[in-house]
Amino acid sequence: MTNRAPRGSKAAKAATSALHTLVEAPEVRAESPTRLAWRKLRRHRLAVSGGAVVLSLYFITIFAEFLAPYSLDYTERSKFLHPPTRIHLLDEDRRPSWPFVYGTLLVDPGLRRYQEDRTERYPLRFFAAGEPYRFAWVIPANIRLFGVEKPGHVFLMGTDQFGRDQFSRILYGGRVSMFIGIYALLLTLPIGVAYGAISGYFGRRVDDVMMRVAEIVMSFPEFYLLLALASVLPPQIPSSQRLMLIILILSFVGWGGLARVIRGMVLVLRELEYVQAAQAAGARVPYLLARHIIPNTASFLIVSASLGVPGAILGESGLSFLGLGIQEPDASWGKLLASANSIQTLTGSPWLLWPGAFIAAAIAGYNLLGDGLRDALDPRSRSGGGFGRSRRRRRA
Amino acid sequence: MSRSLGVRRRLALLTAVVLMWPAALAGAAPAAEVFSPKVHPDADDPAAVHGGAYVTGVISDPKTFNLQAAQETSSTEAVGLLFDGLVEMNFRTGEIEPALAESWTLADDRGTWTFRLRRGVKWHDGRPFTAADVDFTLRAAFAPGGVSSERDVLTFDGKPVRWRVVDPLTIQIVMPKPIGFFLRLAGIAILPKHKLEAALAQGGAAFIRAWGVNTPPRELVGTGPYRMMQYVPGQRLSYARWTEYWKTDKQGRKLPYFDRVVTVIVPNLEALRLRFMARETDIYAARPREYADLKAKEREGAFTVIDGREGYGSELLVFNQNPAGVTDPKLTWFRDTRFRRALQHAIDRDGIVAQVYGGRATPAYGPISRGNTVYYNQSLPAFPYDLARAERQLAEAGYVKSGDRLRDGAGNAVAFTLTTNSENNDRVAIGNIVRQDLVKLGIRVTFAPEAFNSLVARLDGSRKWETMIMGLTGSIEPGTGRNVWVSSGSINMWHPGQKKPSAAWEAEIDQLFEQVATEFDQNKRKAAYHRWQQIMSEQSPMLFFTNPKSQVAVRNTIGSVKTGLGGAISPTEILYRRGGGR
Amino acid sequence: MIRYVARRLLQLIPMLLGITLITFVVMQLAPGDFLSEMRMNPVVSPERIEQMRHNFGLDQPKPVQYLRWLGGLLRGDFGYSFAFQIPVLDLIGTRVGNTLLLNVSAFLFAWVIAVPLGIYSALNNYRFGDHALTVGALLGISLPTFFTGLLGLYFAYETKWLPIGGMTSVEYDFMDPFGKMADVAWHLVLPVIILGLGGIAGLMRQMRANMLEVMEQDYVRTARSKGLAGGVVIWKHAVRNAINPLITLFGFALGGLLSGSAILENIIGWPGLGNLLLEAVQKKDLYVVMGSLVIGSIMLVTGNLISDLLLAYVDPRVRYD
Repeated sequence: MTNRAPRGSKAAKAATSALHTLVEAPEVRAESPTRLAWRKLRRHRLAVSGGAVVLSLYFITIFAEFLAPYSLDYTERSKFLHPPTRIHLLDEDRRPSWPFVYGTLLVDPGLRRYQEDRTERYPLRFFAAGEPYRFAWVIPANIRLFGVEKPGHVFLMGTDQFGRDQFSRILYGGRVSMFIGIYALLLTLPIGVAYGAISGYFGRRVDDVMMRVAEIVMSFPEFYLLLALASVLPPQIPSSQRLMLIILILSFVGWGGLARVIRGMVLVLRELEYVQAAQAAGARVPYLLARHIIPNTASFLIVSASLGVPGAILGESGLSFLGLGIQEPDASWGKLLASANSIQTLTGSPWLLWPGAFIAAAIAGYNLLGDGLRDALDPRSRSGGGFGRSRRRRRA
Repeated sequence: MSRSLGVRRRLALLTAVVLMWPAALAGAAPAAEVFSPKVHPDADDPAAVHGGAYVTGVISDPKTFNLQAAQETSSTEAVGLLFDGLVEMNFRTGEIEPALAESWTLADDRGTWTFRLRRGVKWHDGRPFTAADVDFTLRAAFAPGGVSSERDVLTFDGKPVRWRVVDPLTIQIVMPKPIGFFLRLAGIAILPKHKLEAALAQGGAAFIRAWGVNTPPRELVGTGPYRMMQYVPGQRLSYARWTEYWKTDKQGRKLPYFDRVVTVIVPNLEALRLRFMARETDIYAARPREYADLKAKEREGAFTVIDGREGYGSELLVFNQNPAGVTDPKLTWFRDTRFRRALQHAIDRDGIVAQVYGGRATPAYGPISRGNTVYYNQSLPAFPYDLARAERQLAEAGYVKSGDRLRDGAGNAVAFTLTTNSENNDRVAIGNIVRQDLVKLGIRVTFAPEAFNSLVARLDGSRKWETMIMGLTGSIEPGTGRNVWVSSGSINMWHPGQKKPSAAWEAEIDQLFEQVATEFDQNKRKAAYHRWQQIMSEQSPMLFFTNPKSQVAVRNTIGSVKTGLGGAISPTEILYRRGGGR
Repeated sequence: MIRYVARRLLQLIPMLLGITLITFVVMQLAPGDFLSEMRMNPVVSPERIEQMRHNFGLDQPKPVQYLRWLGGLLRGDFGYSFAFQIPVLDLIGTRVGNTLLLNVSAFLFAWVIAVPLGIYSALNNYRFGDHALTVGALLGISLPTFFTGLLGLYFAYETKWLPIGGMTSVEYDFMDPFGKMADVAWHLVLPVIILGLGGIAGLMRQMRANMLEVMEQDYVRTARSKGLAGGVVIWKHAVRNAINPLITLFGFALGGLLSGSAILENIIGWPGLGNLLLEAVQKKDLYVVMGSLVIGSIMLVTGNLISDLLLAYVDPRVRYD
């Protein structure tokens, strides 16, 4: 074990774990489990980079209005499937210049070929007024990070088949994709935890019945249930409510597995001496569960949460692919990628694949973070034993 | 609607030129049992040779091999090569030509048709084809408890046709009333009595279940140019040439030319295109947007993209004028002809042609496509895209724009929802364009595409919708789809099932369709259709967008490829592979 | 043991009841039925649709429809498909084999790749190889199947190395039995890789974690301290024990076999159940959906049972009574 114990410890807290640590490595002062986990997580380089990716994705989607040059459904009809706008740093005479773009003209609608019109020149402007929007839903604003004066255009990642700026739509669409998983978890976790804990705590008949019900939910081929439920959605509801319903469906499908694992953990936990002691002292069931049992499942919950979000992102994208998810003109990454679902796009308009890169980044980021958390929160890896792991760590 | 106008082969037979049958043949009645082949008028390529295989593709499995149970093209196309009708339509001219019937006459009551059947025609198992098979086919259509798709075709004003076997090679069919385009009846595929009688004996419902897709292919006996050899679900259908087919080419050689036909089943158009590009299939009916890309690859892929005409179909926007589904003030706007006509100028048809169809479509201003050269009314006015003009016309009708909202005479802000079926990307794309332009006029449009099923539930059930983008596939003879156009029609889109037409122009449309149904003179029908198109343009209950063109890519090794009406190309029986084998 | 198996199989009954009931209710919730689409067809009369409704039994009250179907199920009759007009079992029968072939191959592929990689990753914990494998495996699950499927098709088209979807060649019928097998195997390559990639990441991480855990167990330490060679310890003791928990996963995988590949089947054109079921759900071909779900659930339960029994077989500590 390492000799460095950088931060002051609170030995009094978590006596068992401190004892454990003292026995293993007597020269180290005890740390709180949270702090220890945090320290281990930070050392996990892949996890840190995963976390950084996830955080920056949240940042850009939250500030989409400011970062995106256009609004969600701003459409330039004559510029459909426009390739990414070239930003020029050299002027006609190859002299360095303030970044600018040229206007473009559609020369062949069949092959979607555009040509730069060198007579029209639009300098890139930063913090300039653009399409109006409401910051944080309330404050009216129109300052955008960058843009060009009309009728010029700057499409960083090209446009879609309608002539909408792909870059802007990715930023707005990320809101759906990045948050849908979190909302789904907010629903799934409480259901799964409560259900699993009750089932595991009471055991016997209750457990038997509750687990059979959970198995029914789990043994549904998830995808078809999702499909059947999504086609039930009333058609005329606004997109935001529709989104909430999709989340509900994702949660409805997702809680079974979680409940089962929690139940397994509770089955073990309820036999522990301190739980038995509290029980003998007359503690009521809700208190017992909330105070002594559920907190012990926290590390599992954190990990499964970080691994559950990617599942929801993929689930939503599958639904959007089948036309059952988010509806036009709203966007999500899955929906954007689904619209690029043809070979013609792959070869003719490859910029439409950008949403795929964002999905991949989010999912990889979350998974790396989840992996790191699992390692960091696993009490068994606390001693750092194993073959050669500690050696390498010392070097690092 | 567009998805469900299934049985295209039969619909294609609905033609104007019913009275143009070769009368000379009617008189000839030489000794029986002498084989009387038919010379296919388009099989005129002297270089044509027998042999080789022809590979096509489809994107859906057949649902049944029983043509009377078939509801969609994947089934009718799968067994289309196996069967013939009494008559057939020429794919180039639209004329009705003899098939299993070699001639026919119409009695003076204009309701009794007598068909003289071709002699010496054999079923694939060698049994002779006779009038008993025709009789059987008609009985099957009307079997109690059955749901044959032919029943509706053969029922007029709720009354079925009657028929009588005169002799083994003659059958007489009596109409409940004179029907101008009756010969479509004769396009119905004739089924073998000796194979299916047992099923029919158990009732109509049992008959519909006969010849399901689990039937061994050799049981499927027809008179057509090919026999089915194998069906592998989700993978392919394969066929072999019927060597005793009754058609010949102009040099007297037996049709068809290909020894084998294989139809590969793929999941979607994308896969179909890939298979074609990889030279696995010989033909690909491309989407308009793909035309330019395909054209650029012609040499590389050794194929030719046939620059076809507009098809019969079009996409359109319709306003709900049904008081059961829309209330005031919306109902008043939608029933206001000036309001609808003003919006005609807010439709950017050229923009739609460029963006949605990659330039491969023509702006449409009326219900009949330009591709229907028989009935299209060339004198219909165009509605150029001109938002200022739309605004002016709206103002004249009492709708005034104040700020960014359009308000009607009573001060109500004009706002409505626009829907379409979300599965159809083209319609969603058009809806986006339309919405933007209407918003520029100050109309608050909520565009909410939804699943086809729920759309139908509202179109047909609750009637609660406001405006909608839909499609019609159309056919050469609009009279066959009268249910869409007349005021009492059950699927009239703007106001279905009216007891009495609610407007004078609707009454006139009703009267015109009554007229075309009983009219035998094609020119008079044409005049009636022209008047109808004019009314549809003046009243604009539907705003038509464009008529997309057809573009079929065919491998250069396939010979005798000709273009036909509505974007069709030569039927398989006259195509051949240059140099034989594959 | 026999009592245990019997009890597990008995539990199947309430489960199937629950699943079919939920499916039935959910399918009724959506507007319209199988005949909705036909109602918009100008050549189909309302009378004919009414006749079809009657023939299909859709004119009966909903509970009656469900109970009738359930009654048929007891006699082994899964009902008729509305769209195909043939028994549901016949319809499923032609395709379930193909789906199983694809999924079992993908499953085996994932195991063969993931288990050694997981071991390698554990032995090289936190070294470069471990990191590289982690990131690589993640890339496999970070894109939706509909997209990786499309990329795969495009790859096959551009390189001409692999067939462009489907399960057999056009010339399949003219091949000898060996050629037929080779042809199918050849068509399997692409979908198996795409489908397998999704499973590798999870399995590999699981194997790695199991290995790390087992290697810290006392008996492994003891074996090492007694001087046994590293290789022997790892292969004889650690790996064997680390694989046990994966057997539980095997049961789940068996249950997921039927629905796991639906979208990929649709993209690649694999003639499996997924494709059929997808269309059935969308067209509301009620009994096809319910029949498939019943078979899927039976497979899940059987899969779980098999994995439990396997676990008892390989791990003497597990006992069932």
